[in-house]
Amino acid sequence: GKVPAGNILASAPSDKNLESWRELGCRTTHCNLEVVQRSTLVFLATKPHVLPGVLEEIRPAVGSHHIVVSLVAGVTIQTLQKLLPPWTKVLRLMPNLPCVVQAGAMVFSRGSSAGDEESALLRALLSSCGLCEEVPESYLDIHTGLSGSGVAYVYLFAEALAEGAVKMGMPGALAGRIAAQTLLGAAKMLLETGEHPAKLRGDVCTPGGTTIHALHQLEKGALRATVMNAVEAATNRAADMAKR
Amino acid sequence: MSVGFIGAGQLAFALARGFTAAGVLAAHKITASSPDTDLPTVSRLRKMGVNFTVSNKDTVKSSDVLFLAVKPPIIPFILEEVGPDIEARHIVVSCAAGVTINSIEKKLCTFCPTPKVIRCMTNTPVIVREGATVYATGTHADVEDGKLLEQLMASVGFCTEVEEDLIDAVTGLSGSGPAYAFTALDALADGGVKMGLPRRLAVRLGAQALLGAAKMLLESEQHPGQLKDNVCSPGGATIHALHFLESGGFRSLLINAVEASCIRTRELQHLADQEKISPAAIKKTLLDKVKLESPSLSVASAGKVSLFTNKSKKN
Repeated sequence: GKVPAGNILASAPSDKNLESWRELGCRTTHCNLEVVQRSTLVFLATKPHVLPGVLEEIRPAVGSHHIVVSLVAGVTIQTLQKLLPPWTKVLRLMPNLPCVVQAGAMVFSRGSSAGDEESALLRALLSSCGLCEEVPESYLDIHTGLSGSGVAYVYLFAEALAEGAVKMGMPGALAGRIAAQTLLGAAKMLLETGEHPAKLRGDVCTPGGTTIHALHQLEKGALRATVMNAVEAATNRAADMAKR
Repeated sequence: MSVGFIGAGQLAFALARGFTAAGVLAAHKITASSPDTDLPTVSRLRKMGVNFTVSNKDTVKSSDVLFLAVKPPIIPFILEEVGPDIEARHIVVSCAAGVTINSIEKKLCTFCPTPKVIRCMTNTPVIVREGATVYATGTHADVEDGKLLEQLMASVGFCTEVEEDLIDAVTGLSGSGPAYAFTALDALADGGVKMGLPRRLAVRLGAQALLGAAKMLLESEQHPGQLKDNVCSPGGATIHALHFLESGGFRSLLINAVEASCIRTRELQHLADQEKISPAAIKKTLLDKVKLESPSLSVASAGKVSLFTNKSKKN
C-alpha cells in the first residue's frame, strides 16, 4: 500500500509480460523513454546484456531529479554511472524472490551522487517487501550467494525433509506443507528471539533424544561445510559474471 | 580422614597428587597398594610421602575412604580379596569404567551386610586439579558419604552427583576427553610447526589456546557457537579455517568419538557381567599374586574366569 498502482509505469519491448502489470492496475508502455520522462524513481530490471543499450536510450532524458535503482545482476555502480549522466543518483539493489510475498531480503548500495535522502526513501519503500538494508557494494554478490540463490537451497532442503517423511510413511502433500511450516516457524523464532541459532538448536535437543540423533546424521554428512560451499560458489559466480 | 588406593597406577597417582596439592589431605594420610612394585607411579607415590604397601588388606584397614583404582577386569578379584576386611564404616569408591554399583554391592554383601559403595568417574586432569568427576551413590551410601566424596573430588576439579545410568556417557565425554584434547593439541602443534613455529612454542601456544577457550566458555553465559562467531571476522582467517574443519566433518568425528567410548564402556561392562573376560586379558603376574591371597577364588572353566561368582566365601 505504499504506492498506488496508478503511479507505477512499466515498459517492455513486447506485451508478453505487461499484461500482469495492467492487471495490478499499473500503466504500461513500450517506450522506455516515457518511463523516465514520467517517473522520478526508475527501476532498471532488464537482463544484463540488454542494459547497456537501454541506458544509452534513456540517457538523454535522465536528470538530476531522477533516482535510478538498478536491479540488474552483475552490473556495477561504476558501470551504471559511466553509462548515465554524471551526478545521476544511482543505487543498486539486490532483492530475492520472497519479496513477492513481502518476506524478501534485500540489500542496496548507493553510488557517489545518491545521498541519505535517497537511501531513506528506498529503504522506506522497500521495507514493505521485507528486510531491507544498505550495505557496501562488495556485499551484493555475497547476498546473491546467501539469499538470492539461498532461496533455492531452502527449497531443496524442504523437498528433502518431505521426502524423508514420505519414506517414513507420510503422504507427500502433507509432508510438503509441514516441511514448509517447519522452516517458516524456525525462521520466525530466529528472527523474533534474536538468539544464536546454535542456542536454539541446543534448546530442541533433549539428551539422547530424537533430535540429537538426527543432527548427528547431518554432521556426518558435513552439511555445514556443504552449505558454506554453496554460498561461496554462488558468490564467486556472481563476481565472475560481473567481470564479463 | 584417611584415604586408601587399591592400585598404584596413573589414577591413584593423579588423585593422590591432586589431593595433596589441594591441601585437603596430607600425604601420610594416604595409603596405596599394588602387587606390582615396578610401576613408575609407585616410586612417584613414595616420593610424595604416600604410604605404599604390597598388601591390599593393609590399605583397607588403614583407610576410611577406599578408592578402587584398578582396571575393570581386576575389580572382582580385588573385591574377593579385601571383602572380608570391608566394614560398615568404609566408603568404597570405584573408579572403574563400566563396573556397576550393583555388581560391586552383590560381591561385597557376601562379606558385609551394608557396604557403602559409590561409583565415580573422573579423569586424569585431577592431577592438576582440573578434573571432571561425577559420582552416583549406592544403596547403603548416605547423603553425607556422597558429600564427603564430593568435597574430596571438588578439591581437584569439578565434581557433581549424577544418576548412575549417565556415567557411561560421562566416560565417553570427559573420561576419554583429555585424550581427544591431547590428540587435537598434537595436531595443532603440527600445524604450527608446518607453518614455521618451533615445536615447543607451538605446543605451548596450542595448549594455552585450548585452555583459554575452555576457560572463556566456563566463565561465559554465551553459547559456544556465539563465542566461535565472536572470533570469526567476515572473510577473515578464522572462518576460512573453520570451513576446513566443517568439510572434514570435525563435529561428527567428535560426536562419533564420544559415542564410541560410551558404547565400548557399556560393552566392557556387559562382557564383565557375562563373565566373558579371559584370564589372558589380565596380566599373569597380577592374577597369580591375587590368587595367592585369595584361595577361595574359583576358576569356573579352563580358559574362562568366573568374575562375579555367587559362591559365598566359606568361613
